[in-house]
Amino acid sequence: MEYDKILEDLLGRKEFLIVGKSIIRTDALDKALGRAKYTSDYIQPGTVVVKEVYSTHPHALIKRLDTSAALEIPGVLAVYTGADVPGENQIGYAMPDQPFLCDEKVHFIGDPIAIVCAEDEYAAQEARDAVVVEYDPLPANFTIDETLAKDAIHIHEGGNIALTSRIRKGDVEKGFSEAKVEVEGTYETPYQDHAYIEPDVAYAFPEGAGKVTVIGAMQSPFLVREKVAGVLGWNLNQVRVIQALTGGAFGGKDDTGPLVSAKAAMAAVKLGRPAALVYDRFEVTAYTPKRFPSRIHLRTGVDKDGMLTATKVDIKLDCGAYANRAPYWLWRQTVHATGPYEVPNVHVDGTAVYTNKVFGGSYRGFGNLAVHFAVDSHMDRLANELGMDPVELRLRNVLTVGKRTASNQLLDHSVGIEECIRGVAEASDWAEIRKPRRKGNKVRGVGIGTAHHGISTSRGAPDWSAASVILNEDGSFTYRTSICELGQGTPIGHAKIVAEIVGAKMEAFHIEIPDTDTMANARPTHGSRGLALGGTAAADAALKLREQMVNTAATLFECEKDRIDLRNSMASCKDDPSKKMAFKELAHEMYVRGANPAAYGFFTPPRRFFDPETGLGVSYPAYTFAATVCEVEVDLETGQVEILKIWPAMDVGKAIDPLLIDGQIHGAISHGIGIALMESIRLDAGEVINPNLTDYVIPSSMDTPEVAESILVEKPYRHSAFGAKGVGEPAIISIVPAISNAIYHATGVSFNTIPITAERLHAALRRGGQ
Amino acid sequence: MKVSFQLNGKDIEVEAPGNRALLDLLRDDLGVKSVKKGCENGECGACTVLLDGAPVTSCLVLAPQVEGRAVTTIDGLVDDPFMVKLRQAFLEDGAIQCGFCTPGVLISSYALLKGNPKPTADEVKKAIEGNLCRCTGYVAIIKAILHASERI
Repeated sequence: MEYDKILEDLLGRKEFLIVGKSIIRTDALDKALGRAKYTSDYIQPGTVVVKEVYSTHPHALIKRLDTSAALEIPGVLAVYTGADVPGENQIGYAMPDQPFLCDEKVHFIGDPIAIVCAEDEYAAQEARDAVVVEYDPLPANFTIDETLAKDAIHIHEGGNIALTSRIRKGDVEKGFSEAKVEVEGTYETPYQDHAYIEPDVAYAFPEGAGKVTVIGAMQSPFLVREKVAGVLGWNLNQVRVIQALTGGAFGGKDDTGPLVSAKAAMAAVKLGRPAALVYDRFEVTAYTPKRFPSRIHLRTGVDKDGMLTATKVDIKLDCGAYANRAPYWLWRQTVHATGPYEVPNVHVDGTAVYTNKVFGGSYRGFGNLAVHFAVDSHMDRLANELGMDPVELRLRNVLTVGKRTASNQLLDHSVGIEECIRGVAEASDWAEIRKPRRKGNKVRGVGIGTAHHGISTSRGAPDWSAASVILNEDGSFTYRTSICELGQGTPIGHAKIVAEIVGAKMEAFHIEIPDTDTMANARPTHGSRGLALGGTAAADAALKLREQMVNTAATLFECEKDRIDLRNSMASCKDDPSKKMAFKELAHEMYVRGANPAAYGFFTPPRRFFDPETGLGVSYPAYTFAATVCEVEVDLETGQVEILKIWPAMDVGKAIDPLLIDGQIHGAISHGIGIALMESIRLDAGEVINPNLTDYVIPSSMDTPEVAESILVEKPYRHSAFGAKGVGEPAIISIVPAISNAIYHATGVSFNTIPITAERLHAALRRGGQ
Repeated sequence: MKVSFQLNGKDIEVEAPGNRALLDLLRDDLGVKSVKKGCENGECGACTVLLDGAPVTSCLVLAPQVEGRAVTTIDGLVDDPFMVKLRQAFLEDGAIQCGFCTPGVLISSYALLKGNPKPTADEVKKAIEGNLCRCTGYVAIIKAILHASERI
């Protein structure tokens, strides 16, 4: 089915009733009143306090583990180590390299060794400190080069390389021989902390002997269920996972959700009492996964006409202690390595390496933030060498319908990057604001960044989603998905899709929080798939329910099915205005006549595939595209950068809710400004030395630039509901290169490392550029 | 020790150890869950409440310090005309995403408008500087506060 054509083909109308119009979020009032419930708000008095004992060594063998003193402390109920894990003491997401509780060896400062359970915070804290761990320290590798050195100690049994990836397309040497100009550079991006305001948390309580319920902050309730069941050695249906409203996640809670939940669940099951694990800001910042740091070496050639001829890329991904999501991250970087540009000859080598540091993990934009920072920096340097305008160079090479990506995927529809670039150039009056402007020590500059970001899981891994919609007896609707509300509002987008299809008012909807006991796995809220896949499963459910509603109405009205109109929670016959019925009555009729009032939706996108030898194939079902223009003012004396204005554009396929999309774009601008100019987790011998919001500074309201109206390009994707594509992740990718290119334009300094702090820019200016 | 203070207009007396943070007193002892715990270090602003009308981060206030004073959380301002206008603007302008920072942001915004009903955009930014929001990028929040101010 071509889901982008539902409106005309199946609903028989031309105009949207709900989709495409901004609404007030269905959950906003509760949140504004402070009545929305997050995980910690569910925790009842008398709950067991769970805390973790963390490794204080970056790399060491555990010589002795003694919990006896901790157990003596009044109020301490238990201390559990790896030996107490009833199921599998292994929690690696993509590779089995990560113990749930380390029992032989630790791999970073912060590796969990034991969990303590106590009646209160103080006893738990005391017990954590009283657990004796004797280590046999091992040499540690902290950098990519250290860990790749020939004589480097092995962090894991298989060595220090977690995995590799590659692309071989065309002949790069031939491509470089055709180039008039070549540019080469090495681009480094640091750890970025998600800094979600709600710390990680899970609350678990046993329900009888063979069942446990976990309420937690997470992005994938079904992954949490799988990992909790694995640790307990239980069947999936013995674990019920409920995702409470989650106070920001940005990828981070996709990784921490299972880790935190499994610890709370193990304590609850073993003690037969409710138990909660609540992180503090130190734990969140020092010990939870961060944006994977990477080092990308890029060599790009362009001919005299400004056409890209070859790209050679070497990606070194620093996993930290465990691979976690590295296979997906590295793959995503590899197949996006040319940016949204067509390059005939592409050679990419990717290597993910282990180091003895906090491990990397999912973060909005995945590897694409680093890749597009490198590619778009190169585009500006190439343009400079050619004496060509950076926008013009991009337009000559940009992906359009009929062109092929780095992995040789033919793009046959839903490609709107050219419109995005033209849109932001026009809106910003590019040619005019690119003219040199200097006043005293203050100089202004303008830069552009671009993005493409594949939707759905990487590496051709199977992907699907599920949804459930129930028409209740009173005409109200209950919608269920395991796509999580993390702030982005995706489930609201689903409900809008359902409302559009069944012709209901939005007020008629209640969106349930995800509960693994009530539906099949709708898969995670990541990979820009929540709307494109989850929303299409919702559409599938809605179409099935609509059929039942139309059938019943047609029988009652003695009217042809295709003459039934459903809108504003009313059914009517188009031929006879007197024949109409509120959904409340229609629902009643459906129940008494045996027409199924509930529908289950399921959807899987067209399969992707790739050849592991060449990396070529169909990498993703579709891509979201974006472009950003940024204007900065640089103080040449201090190196201080002020972001004056941002012009964003995105090809969203179909905008389900422009206000929600604006929210994603604006939030991503802030995260982008953060990592471009100020954010960086700093380590000293493997220890995070800025583990709080005082020393790890994120943008505040004072760092908010003027943001122009978002330009939403709509190139519908054939296999998603109404053509919608994911927006939350792609929104951040083009921000960083737009900022760094604007600084390059203002100062002539092209940075290849972020964040571009005032100190670094000041130093570079004193050196006279680099 | 016993602590007596006014919470959302009601006189109350609670037993609390002297080192108990107002944040924990409110959430755990008094069940006021609208006050959120984000950093316990006065940086994120999610626990912002009004103390005698002025915004403070309740994680940095100790229970005995509120003796004889008035503590107001968002629960005490539900029908307050300034808060009603602010809330409506936040809803309409998309200033709420995950919502975890929202009660704190609304408290700071309320304190601003009470003292300065017609703030400039810069004054708005300054007033909510202590409230970190990782979702919205502040754009819609600033817009909403200015909209609310126009309606006052």
